Order: sequence, then C-alpha cells, then structure tokens
Amino acid sequence: MRRRDFVKGILAASATAKAMAAQQATAAAQASPLTAPHNLPAQGPVAPGPVPWMRGLMEVKPLELRTLVPDSVAQTDAHFFNPQQTATLRRLCDALMPPLKGYPGALDAGTPEFLDFLIGVSPRDRKQLYLSGLDWLDAEAQRMFFTAFAKSTNVQADALIRPWLRVWMTDHPPTEEHAAFVNAAHADIRTATINSQAWSDAARATGRTTTGLDLYWYPVDPDVHRDVAPATGAMRQVENN
Amino acid sequence: MADETVDVLIIGSGHSGGMAAKILTEKGISCLMLNAGPVADVHKDTEVKPVSALPFRGFKQPGILPHVFQSNEFNANTWVDEKEVPYTYDADKPYNWVRVRLFGGRSLFWSRQSFRLSDYEFKGKSHDGYGDDWPISLSDVAPYYSRVEEIFRVTGRAYGLPQYPDGDFVPDNSPWSSSMQRYVAAGVKMGVPVCKARSSLGVDGLASSVNLLLPDAIATGRLRAIPNVVVRELSVDKNTGLVNEAHFIDRLSRREMSVKARVVVLAAGTLESTRLLLNSKIANSSGVVGHFLIDQIYGAGMVCAVPDARDGKGTLEVMGGGALIPRFRNIDSKAKDFIRGYALNIYSNTGPVAPHYFASYGEELQDKLDSYHGSALSAGIMGEVLARYENQVSIDKTVVDAWDIPALRIETKYTDNEFNMARDAVDVAAALAEDAGFEVLVKNYDPNPPGYSIHELGTCRMGDDAKTSVLNKWNQSHDIKNLFVVDGAAFTSAGWQNPTMTILALAMRSAEYLAEQMRMGNV
Repeated sequence: MRRRDFVKGILAASATAKAMAAQQATAAAQASPLTAPHNLPAQGPVAPGPVPWMRGLMEVKPLELRTLVPDSVAQTDAHFFNPQQTATLRRLCDALMPPLKGYPGALDAGTPEFLDFLIGVSPRDRKQLYLSGLDWLDAEAQRMFFTAFAKSTNVQADALIRPWLRVWMTDHPPTEEHAAFVNAAHADIRTATINSQAWSDAARATGRTTTGLDLYWYPVDPDVHRDVAPATGAMRQVENN
Repeated sequence: MADETVDVLIIGSGHSGGMAAKILTEKGISCLMLNAGPVADVHKDTEVKPVSALPFRGFKQPGILPHVFQSNEFNANTWVDEKEVPYTYDADKPYNWVRVRLFGGRSLFWSRQSFRLSDYEFKGKSHDGYGDDWPISLSDVAPYYSRVEEIFRVTGRAYGLPQYPDGDFVPDNSPWSSSMQRYVAAGVKMGVPVCKARSSLGVDGLASSVNLLLPDAIATGRLRAIPNVVVRELSVDKNTGLVNEAHFIDRLSRREMSVKARVVVLAAGTLESTRLLLNSKIANSSGVVGHFLIDQIYGAGMVCAVPDARDGKGTLEVMGGGALIPRFRNIDSKAKDFIRGYALNIYSNTGPVAPHYFASYGEELQDKLDSYHGSALSAGIMGEVLARYENQVSIDKTVVDAWDIPALRIETKYTDNEFNMARDAVDVAAALAEDAGFEVLVKNYDPNPPGYSIHELGTCRMGDDAKTSVLNKWNQSHDIKNLFVVDGAAFTSAGWQNPTMTILALAMRSAEYLAEQMRMGNV
C-alpha cells in the first residue's frame, strides 16, 4: 500500500509542481516591468507591451477535434525509385500481398509509395538492397521471359520469386544475394500493408477491434544532440553498421 | 554555494542502485542518487496508439537504434541513442549495447525471469577447471536471494535440482497445457529436465526499482535524487587514497558540477560503471578493470507447430504456458565439444504465427497463417559465455559523447565453445519437438551479436586476490575501500541465468556490509 501511495504521491507532486511553476511564470510575466532596470543585465528580448502570452492556457479544455492520420485522405508523393523500379516494386507488392479475405492488398494500402519514402530515408545498405534487388528482378524477368517484371504474369512472377523464399527466425533473415532482397521486401511489404490505415479501416469495417494498439512513448525530455561536429569515429562505426 | 559532503553517493537508479538505496537508507544512512536520465511519467509521456497512426507505420525511424533489436517504433524513445552516447568496436565484431537512462534504468523493461545461480556457476572452476571460482558460494548468497524473491514476488516451482536451485517462491501450481505435457514427456525420455520457469510477479505487473525498491528508500526521508546528470569522473583524495568527489554534467544545460561524498556506490550498469572507473583512472591496480566482459548467447532456437492445435483447435487446454530447461549439459557427464551449459526457454503460443516461418506468399501464405494460428511452440537458448581476459572494454580516446565524455570501446566475440553450445541447444530442442510429434518449422543456429541479451557482466570482477580482481567478495574495491560497485560488473562468471536476482542479492549483501562498516567506522 505504501508503494502505491508513493506512486500516486509522485504523480500528484509532479502535477502540483508544474502548476505552481506555470502560475509563478504567469505572475512574473504580469508583474515584470516593461524594461529592465539599468543596473541589471538585460534578460533577453522584451515584449512590446505587457502581452499576456500564456494567459488562459492553463484553464482551457482540450480541443474536441477528431484528427486524422494523413494516409486516410492523402497519397504519399514518391521520389526515390526511378519509374522502372517503381513499376517493378508495384508488381512485386501486388504479387506478394494481393487483396485477400476482405482486407486490402499492398497496392490498396499505398505500400509501394510508403516504401519509396521509407527506403529513401533509410541507411545506405538498405537503399542499395532495394535498388539492386529491383533492378535484378526486372533483369531476370527480361532474361527468362523477355518482359519487364512489371508486365509479368502471375506464373512468371512466381517462377522469379519462389526460388528465393526462405524460412527464417526473427533477427536472422537470409543473407545470400537475391534471397536477402526477396525476403526483406516480402517482410516489409507485409508490414507496411498490415500496419496501414487502409488495413485498420478494413478491420473496423468487419467489426474487429482496432489492430496494432500499443503504448507509444513520446520523447522523455528532448534528446541532446551536439551542435558541433559529430564524433567522427563513432559516427563512422554507426554508419558502417 | 553548497559545500556538503554526502554520506553515500549512489550513481544509477536501476535494480542495483535501488537496492543499495533501500538498504542503506533503512539502516539510517543518508544517500544522494544521481541518474543520467529523467524521471519518466507514464501518464504524461505515453499514449495508446494504433500502429497505423505512427509516422513510420511501426518500422521505427530508419537508421536509429541499429543495435537495439528490442526497439520498435512504440518504444524507440526509451532507449539510449548511440549517436548521443556512442561506443566503438571493430566492424567485424559488432556489439549490441542496449541501454536505458530513464530513472529506474533497465529495471523498467526486463523479462522478469528470476533465477538463482548455483554452485556450478559460483564454483565453476572447481567443477570443470575453467576460469575462476567466485569468492562466494550459493550458501553465502542464499539468504539474500530469499529476501529478494520475497520483495519481487518470484513465482516458481521447486524441483530439487542442484543446477536449478529452489527458492522462496509464490507457488506456481498452474497446470501444463497438453502441448507442454508432451514436451515434458519427451524430455523425460531423453533425460532433459523440462521445468516450470520462474519469474517476478512484482506489484501490479511491474517489478522495478521504481515501485519495489526506491519507494521504501524515499519513505525513510534519507534519499535525495538528482535526475538528468551525467557523471564524468570520480576523484580520489591524494592523502587518504579514498574517493571523495564526483564530477558531473547537467544533461540539459551541460553545466559542470561536483559533489563531495564519503562513500561512492557505483550502480550505473556494468559497462557505464566500468567506463566511469576507466575515465577516472582509479581502482585498477590489478589491471583487470574492463576485462572479462561476459554475457549470454541468445538468438539460436527453433519454432515448431503442434499439429493437433492447427485449424482453430489450439484451445487453452492444448496450447499456452512456458517452461524452462535448466542447464543439463556438463553436470554429471561431459558434452562433446563445449564446456559449461545452456538453458532453453520454451513457449507454447496461442497467437499468430510469423509469416517468415513459411516459404510462401500471397493467398497460399495466408492459408498457412490461418491454419497454423495458435499452434506454435518455440525454444530459445540462454547460454553461458566463458569469461576471457581478451574480451574487454577500454576508453576510445578519439570519440566522446554528447557531453564530451570519452566513449567506450568494446572488443569481444564468441568462440567455438559458444557456437557449439548453440548448435547443441537447437538440436536438442528440435529433437524433443520431433519426439513429441510436432512439426519443426524453422531452426537457427546463429547467436545474436554479443550484448543482445542485455546481460553484460564482468569487467570489474570480484575475487579474493587483489592482483587478479577488482572487487572483494563484498563488491568493495580492493584499492579504494570507500568505493563499491554493486551492479553486474562484479560478476566473475556469467552462468546461463538471467542475472537480475543475483545482481539484486549481491547489491543487498554489499549494502548491508557497507552499512555495518560505516557503523563501525571502518569506512
């Protein structure tokens, strides 16, 4: 019981302290002179009048506004892959994750566009895996079937994809060339699709509870990043891995 | 200006620091605790969200936390950013240093697995000739284990196995599901003990320093704490040879400050405590500080399916529950190509099966996922990594963190003993599954990189000889009698066990010794 009371006490004290600090700040702002006395050092820019910047915010009720995630109304602008790679990726998405059992396929979920964004902001080795993987897949389609992968039939796509599928345990995806790309892309396409707004909407439409709920942590105090040149040795190690 | 000398300065607030604070303050000693990160407030800092509402759809921001395999987009902000607090290593010997600097440290996030070490660990050299014995045995620590188990409400079942010492448990009378019964029966046939695991129930699901230890210390009125301060260095009085001051930096403003102390207790986590000693250039007459870095191999394992749980038949009578196979190799017989041993965590899962357990895609894959839903049983290794002098950490003078504190360089790797152990563990797990009539879906023999287990231990090992060890059997520096290291750095060997209970028990034991020494005027 003592422990529970303690936790409540900490929370209450935290809230009280914050409220007091805010009140003191407000009071100080209201009471402060227009300009600093000449015998004191300047305290920073002075507002052009007794402006009540923060007045009333302590008491305001949270806005009752139903916010949206952008994917519910907007499309991702794709920039990273070239048109041929984009076409290959779209066909790969459709082959690996078609619409099934009332749930959207990867194309419906905007997965190709999302992966264009995600891979475009990923480390170099991830970018390279996709760039070379998509080019390889298209070249293989040309070599085996004299067609672009984007134009491949389901049978042709299967002949290109299936030989490289592997089973693997978490944290240990295949590393061999081509299999690394195919399995990574498969996992990414599935994740991007199942975690999409379109998938969530489909789940809700079928009466299922919202999928993928979890406790999200906001930054706990801002991270402190150096404003000087980074420690190059460490950065080199991080980037190399 | 404050010119106070605090009685005991505790650096770190996790399980070990929390325990030291609880014991010392309850003995009437005033403590000041420094912590490198802020106090987390779950009500303020978190929100339940659907993954579809996260900026990266659950992928986590690319490029961050590359070595924290445990991180995801939900929890990414709780881990230490290695761009802020870097460490270095050879590119061919990666190390996963997984850190939390929130108040309470990694005690906020842990698996709850709660085991005692046995004398196969404390007296390992006496058993097989390798390495060094600890300067203590199970009988020395057992009373403290009991008290820790009571505080943490460890649930378990007694088995009477010397390599899996029993304790003071909240009785675990839960029945086995039928899938687990079949796995247990296969173990009996093959001479492999499949036991109930042991874990901390805590209070309201949390088993942390912040709810089980620090509240008691604060209730005494003798614990003060400062969050968001990063300790750079400890200094020693040249006349007395005693540590007398800690120099730290305000995390947010980077203001440099110092505080004087009569006693310093290091509880910053194995590698941060060691980094502080190395940066301070103290307590190392043995030359052993930083050496003998150990942990446990994780990642190797197997997943199988229980055929009669497929296609919607995986009820709670069939599936569910977990088990632990404690070390059974090199107890009464000798393994072919490795010494020491490993444990296996077994889980009978009622949830979805991972898609990468099948070489399929599209509708065919979905049909398999539907059919196999709730039928998976997995096994994962926890294996002992041998203590080796050459597995070490040192200061990399070319790299500093966000506060200009020199970074740690980590040089460690696994060898054939660990790899052979992992192979044996996977083969045993699969053989039991096949004997039980299960379908093995996937196996992996490769351990995750060192550090992944978050069980980094050693680097300030305890021992009787001041020439070959850093601490004595009370976690007290051989060189500086008012300096104690109460976290995992003190370990002489790793064992296969999750080290939390041992860290807690040793911190309790050390703090009681310190309190008595202070009472007697010896420290």
